[in-house]
Amino acid sequence: MHHVIIGNGIAGVQAAEAIRHLDPESEISMIAAETFPPYCRPMISLLLEGAVTPDRLPIRPGDFYESRSIRAFPGVRVTAIDSGRARLSLDTGETLAYDRLLIATGADPRAIRAEGKTLAGIFSMRTVSDVQKMLDMLSSCRSALVLGGGLVGFKAAYSLLKRGMAVTMLIASGYPLSMQLDPVSGGIIRDTLVRHGLHVETGVEVTAFEGSGRVQRAILNDGRTLACDLVVVGKGVRPATGFLAGSGIDVDLGIRVDEHLQTTISGVFAAGDVAELTDVVRKRPWINAIWPEAAAQGWIAGLNMAGRSASYQGSLGRNVIRMFDLDIMTAGIVQPQEAAGTTQVLTHLDGNGPIYRRFVLQEDRLVGFTLINRIEKGGMLVSLIQRGLPLDPEEKRLLLL
Amino acid sequence: MKQVVVHPEKCVGCMQCTVACAVAHSSSRTLYAALLEEPLPRSRIHIGSTRFGRGFPNRCRHCDPAPCMRACLPGAIYRVSEYGTVLVDPDKCINCASCAMACPFGVIRYHEDAWAQPGKTVAVKCDNCLSRQLRGLIPACVEACKSGALGFEEMDRAQRRKTDAVSDTVWSTSGVVLPAAGSIGFELLHAQKKAMVEMAQTSRA
Ligand SMILES: Cc1cc2nc3c(=O)[nH]c(=O)nc-3n(C[C@H](O)[C@H](O)[C@H](O)COP(=O)(O)OP(=O)(O)OC[C@H]3O[C@@H](n4cnc5c(N)ncnc54)[C@H](O)[C@@H]3O)c2cc1C
Ligand code: SF4
Ligand code: SF4
Repeated sequence: MHHVIIGNGIAGVQAAEAIRHLDPESEISMIAAETFPPYCRPMISLLLEGAVTPDRLPIRPGDFYESRSIRAFPGVRVTAIDSGRARLSLDTGETLAYDRLLIATGADPRAIRAEGKTLAGIFSMRTVSDVQKMLDMLSSCRSALVLGGGLVGFKAAYSLLKRGMAVTMLIASGYPLSMQLDPVSGGIIRDTLVRHGLHVETGVEVTAFEGSGRVQRAILNDGRTLACDLVVVGKGVRPATGFLAGSGIDVDLGIRVDEHLQTTISGVFAAGDVAELTDVVRKRPWINAIWPEAAAQGWIAGLNMAGRSASYQGSLGRNVIRMFDLDIMTAGIVQPQEAAGTTQVLTHLDGNGPIYRRFVLQEDRLVGFTLINRIEKGGMLVSLIQRGLPLDPEEKRLLLL
Repeated sequence: MKQVVVHPEKCVGCMQCTVACAVAHSSSRTLYAALLEEPLPRSRIHIGSTRFGRGFPNRCRHCDPAPCMRACLPGAIYRVSEYGTVLVDPDKCINCASCAMACPFGVIRYHEDAWAQPGKTVAVKCDNCLSRQLRGLIPACVEACKSGALGFEEMDRAQRRKTDAVSDTVWSTSGVVLPAAGSIGFELLHAQKKAMVEMAQTSRA
């Protein structure tokens, strides 16, 4: 049996380990476009910030591939899948046959529409090499522009502020992380960032970048010009499915999979940021592109590939962010307009800490929360959401304490 | 393999276990010297309260598989299989709190610790008193608990006793809500389910 895994992110790594866990014999190949050994992607913002050096990024010992008898194809990109003949085409011109295949290709940064976007100094922040290129330029940069207030834009802005740069963030909504946060907590975060020197511009867009070879300014749609010598595009990600055209594998928001993480083609699996699963609280197809989901999905896909039936019953969006003196944790539905049925929102704000707790309930079941500070028990709340048990009035009161 | 087993119904909320735990994880390992240490040692066992205000000694269950371990971004959480213990490597920890979001028992705290680099905030949780066990001692919290709420027992024996207790509860009490089978995250949550059974018993008794 030959297992082929495309991608060496956390989903691919966990799948390889799950297969080996059950089956020491069968052949495993891992193909990865990046040449860096399996590493902690979320830590690249710490690399940008200067808090860690690149040698801290690997998530497995240096002998990861050899010790598990995995054939590695670093720096190789899969260009097409022929699911009828169970073969992959590689950018080296070769083809590779598989018995079971896992697609764990993660996500690509969303592109922007602006003239001059190919000038030097304009980056997305997805890989360790993106950050290494930024670091090479950093000493000659003074003012940075961050496009987008999502998780990656937010982390880039935070890291660059810590580097002492002048940072401007352009966001469509009034506050960063608007997909994850409600207006009260979003406002607390915006105010904290602004207090630490971030400049925030809302409701404007970049129409063009200018500079001779290297970016020097951005032209906004209200006619203004902003000086900048480093730009980070953090407009979100989309599943890396470009190479699947003609493969017969069904792609909707991401690659569609069943509860065993098998795609519409038997023997072909998908896991992590590239896969679309049912969201446990929204009860519809969704992509929760986060590390713990990718890790768990990779593991379960690997078990299934190795022949043990294991099922995943839905994904849950959640995130935790620590910046300056704030800890912020969110999970599930935060904007109740997304909610159906009888919705109840419970909040508690103690402005001095500040301590903020906000819970969204549907038919007496917890479907989402936001915590600012005092986050230690967040895992209990996550499991309350995942179990979907109805809460009585006393239990609801306890949530707020 | 022996493990710390919690009998919440016997907890009187005296907090002796928390003091003993903090001392056991100080540099000096004696109460009076520990009080002068910087950082001040803190307990890794926490007394929560149940919905009727009773004490509940809450500590790491060293789950297998452990949700915190799978969620840890840099891979700082690992298992020492011989002792059934899940540990945090303070040098690898980046203080991201992903483990707080994964631990269904809310037992991880973030602060400086005698065993971490000075000045570094890290994830801290129960380590089953491995250093004491290596010296032939039982975990400090168990040694300190005089009400029998904490025991150090062979796991399979404890499991059997718990199973009996659960089946008693299920058959003798109507309206006891036990967690639904087949919940999210499949076997990640087995340990959590076990603890829920524990909690359902205490909180609805
Ligand atoms: C800056 C940043 C910060 C983040 N912070 C957090 C956080 O705090 N918490 C959190 O939960 N999540 C965070 N995330 C998200 C998290 O990193 C992802 O959810 C997770 O890494 C997804 O893992 P994956 O294995 O699905 O994909 P990836 O890690 O993206 O791995 C995919 C792999 O596939 C390879 N690949 C892609 N296409 C091909 C191809 N055609 N052929 C061969 N190889 C290919 C890629 O090179 C890559 O190595 C962050 C992400 C970023 C970028
Ligand atoms: S999830 Fe919580 S209880 Fe389980 S091993 Fe991790 S810290 Fe301990
Ligand atoms: S806080 Fe430390 S132990 Fe917890 S998940 Fe983050 S790195 Fe791992």
